[in-house]
Amino acid sequence: MMKNKAKTLSREDKMRRKYRYVDRGFILLMLTIFQFLCSLPVVFENSKFYPINALCFFGFTAFEWIYVAVMHLVFKKVNFELEFIAFFLSGIGMTLTASVSKSGHIKQLAAVIIGIVVYDILLWFLQDVKRVMAVRLPLAVFALCFLAGSFLFIRFAGSAINGAYNWLILGGGKLSVQPSEFVKIAFIFVGAASLDKLLTAKNIYLYIGFAIGCIGVLFLMRDFGTALIFFATFLVIAFMRSGDIRSLAFICAGALLGAVLIIYFKPYVAARFAAYRHVWENYDTTGYQQVRTLIYSVSGGLKGLGINNGRLRYIAAASTDLVFGMVCEELGLIVAFAIVISFAIIAVYAIRTSRSAPSTFYSIAACSAATMLLFQTCLNIFGITDILPLTGVTLPFVSQGGSSMICSWALFAFIKAADVRTYPKVFKSA
Amino acid sequence: MRNTTRRAYAIFALVAVFFGGLIFMAYSFVTNADEWASSRLNEHIYKYRQLSTAGAIYDRDGETLVASRDGERIYNESSAVRLSTLHLVGDSQGYISTGLQTVYRPYLIGYNFIDGVYKTVKDKKGNDLKLTIDADVSAAAYDALAGNKGTICAYNYKTGDVICMVSAPTFDPLYKPTDIDSDTSGKYDGVYLNRFISGVFTPGSTFKVVTTICALQNISGVSKRTFNCTGKYVIGKQAVICNSVHGKVSFERALNVSCNCAFAELAVELGNEKMMKTVSELGFNKTVDVNGMQTSKSYFDLSKSTKLDRGWAGIGQYTTLVNPCRMLMLMGAIANGGEAVIPDTVSTHTLPFGKKAETDKNMKLDSKTAGTVKKMLRSNVENYYGDWKFPGMKMCGKTGSAEVEGKKSHAWFVGFSADSGFPYAIVVCLENGGIGFNDAIPAASKVLQSIKNNR
Repeated sequence: MMKNKAKTLSREDKMRRKYRYVDRGFILLMLTIFQFLCSLPVVFENSKFYPINALCFFGFTAFEWIYVAVMHLVFKKVNFELEFIAFFLSGIGMTLTASVSKSGHIKQLAAVIIGIVVYDILLWFLQDVKRVMAVRLPLAVFALCFLAGSFLFIRFAGSAINGAYNWLILGGGKLSVQPSEFVKIAFIFVGAASLDKLLTAKNIYLYIGFAIGCIGVLFLMRDFGTALIFFATFLVIAFMRSGDIRSLAFICAGALLGAVLIIYFKPYVAARFAAYRHVWENYDTTGYQQVRTLIYSVSGGLKGLGINNGRLRYIAAASTDLVFGMVCEELGLIVAFAIVISFAIIAVYAIRTSRSAPSTFYSIAACSAATMLLFQTCLNIFGITDILPLTGVTLPFVSQGGSSMICSWALFAFIKAADVRTYPKVFKSA
Repeated sequence: MRNTTRRAYAIFALVAVFFGGLIFMAYSFVTNADEWASSRLNEHIYKYRQLSTAGAIYDRDGETLVASRDGERIYNESSAVRLSTLHLVGDSQGYISTGLQTVYRPYLIGYNFIDGVYKTVKDKKGNDLKLTIDADVSAAAYDALAGNKGTICAYNYKTGDVICMVSAPTFDPLYKPTDIDSDTSGKYDGVYLNRFISGVFTPGSTFKVVTTICALQNISGVSKRTFNCTGKYVIGKQAVICNSVHGKVSFERALNVSCNCAFAELAVELGNEKMMKTVSELGFNKTVDVNGMQTSKSYFDLSKSTKLDRGWAGIGQYTTLVNPCRMLMLMGAIANGGEAVIPDTVSTHTLPFGKKAETDKNMKLDSKTAGTVKKMLRSNVENYYGDWKFPGMKMCGKTGSAEVEGKKSHAWFVGFSADSGFPYAIVVCLENGGIGFNDAIPAASKVLQSIKNNR
């Protein structure tokens, strides 16, 4: 009986695998067609041919195919759901970036490729939990020092951009980096690792200290959106671990931290959120971006006005913070819907994989990474449409910007690591 | 381990919040899309916050009142037409908030949720709007205002079709005066107001029509009553002064000659409650929706009045203010046997089998009273103003010279044609324009003549 069952299962398995293989090719083909169609208005803008942008588009498509082929054939990987979602989102972001600034295209493509490399390195690294445990303390110290150092540097040697000290401008303006994006990766890494099996009071208090440090510096930077994202992620990590006294400490620390920061920074927070739900009264001042986003989002209709035909693109931060509005206007509400559904799928995927993850570390990492992405998506989409206060955070993968792109890919590594199909060996031993 | 993974489901809460937010967003998009897309800040439609790409507006004969060409709004080539249709058509900047270019923005720009502004941007035009007004009659009506501030509107009281609606002061949208906002001489007072829709004025003797209606409904045998006019109606130590010494007059004659004594007496006799009830039944305290333009409410309140005040109120003075559109509809209701048809300026939506005139549910007038008043108003023209003032017409109406403190009186004429082949009602209100009989009747006559000639 048992033998029979095993046999039928394996046959089904084979069929499923075969079906999935076709599926993968099919999805990639669809993605390629979509990206090809999107690239045309950019490459042939105003009946002029832009060879460098054509090359970038071609390079990206080729990269997608080669990556999947190599991963499948050489490394015998079978699951590419996350990669496909990331390709889809990054592709849209890259197209809009290229359509707004032809020269920004190469940078954005480079960011995607660096992101994928970081993603794979992180995936390889996360395979060994012992290795993870060994680096978490140095990483925490380094990340906190990096963030605090960046803040001090920007505060005293740099300047505030849009009222926040969150951009590190290097090389005379050639390279701008958002330090908080990289600390996000460390935040999850340290958080999930501190709370695995080696659960000690010291570990937990160290992590609380680390979290308070990060969020505190973010408040000093006046990057309230990112601070809020960190705080939400902190709460999820705390919740995942809850059930004992130590967790209570977590919650208390969280609440206390929130209260202190809000009281201390009240004037700044109030000033930035003053326009909330009053954007139409302040349409040329504090509600400027939100009002334009609303007007142009509904102007596009379901099918959009077509790339290059929008008007939101002439508003500041169109391809970064307001990129979702650009998608609505130029690609239409249907594509915008596909984007939001993608983010929901990521979260559901993370929940499902974390259920069967080989260890608590992977579970917590996946859930907190998914929280971070979804929460940031909420702040971005609802912020620019005045459903939440505008906090100036980016839309993962879609917004123009290298730091955000690389961080988004890195966060995907945490989600992917929890999938049982990612590390067949680890799963077997566990 | 198991606990931890089970807690992963908590993230479903975040997913639920996310979807909740999306649903809220979708809802606010769908419900506000029209307003947002037609916002003056939408540069697909507006250039420098002026309407640039939208549908044309035509008069009833298909004459272009305004249209878009190469991303600019081009108005009619005749300055008289531009001046006279400005308040109804509206300006490109939207200063005239009741103008159709503002009220019908979502329609004119051709916006819909499915296509967005795609077609507008592609075809460089939106949906066209055909009006019921006549450009030539409008120009004639503007001419009839003779440089006064005020308004003239005429409509078909059976179908509701407005044939002209002019308001002054006005300006030429093609050459907007540069001193329009800085002027202090008062020549541009309320220039952005459509006085027909948004204005309220002291009605003077035209309000005697309302007092007549109230008397007919509440005092039995009032038609057969006689009044003795000694030139003033004394109440205590003060008096309501009459325009003349009319001696013994019948009810009908009292209306013909507009005897203040008779109507002050009636108003005092009727009292607060009955007067206010009639005024309210006639819809004076309500607004009416004319193609999305909300008319101003009229003002009539006797709750704190003395006997003398009531006497003045009965002849359209005291604190009473009426909206010209309401007066026009009152004429329409009397002409129609009680049915107050709402004015309609847009004929684009006309169905092939003809449209159904919409009546104002807030306006109640029984057909018997309407019939009696109609006869009395006919008598005004026939026996007092003279039919020769309206050649070839069978007019009914009432003049008014509303006294306003320190200034010339408002000259009013409200009336309608009793000829079923020429079913037009008209309101003329010349702000500080003089005497109804001398100034408003000729203006009304000119416009009605123009309607006849342009049929």
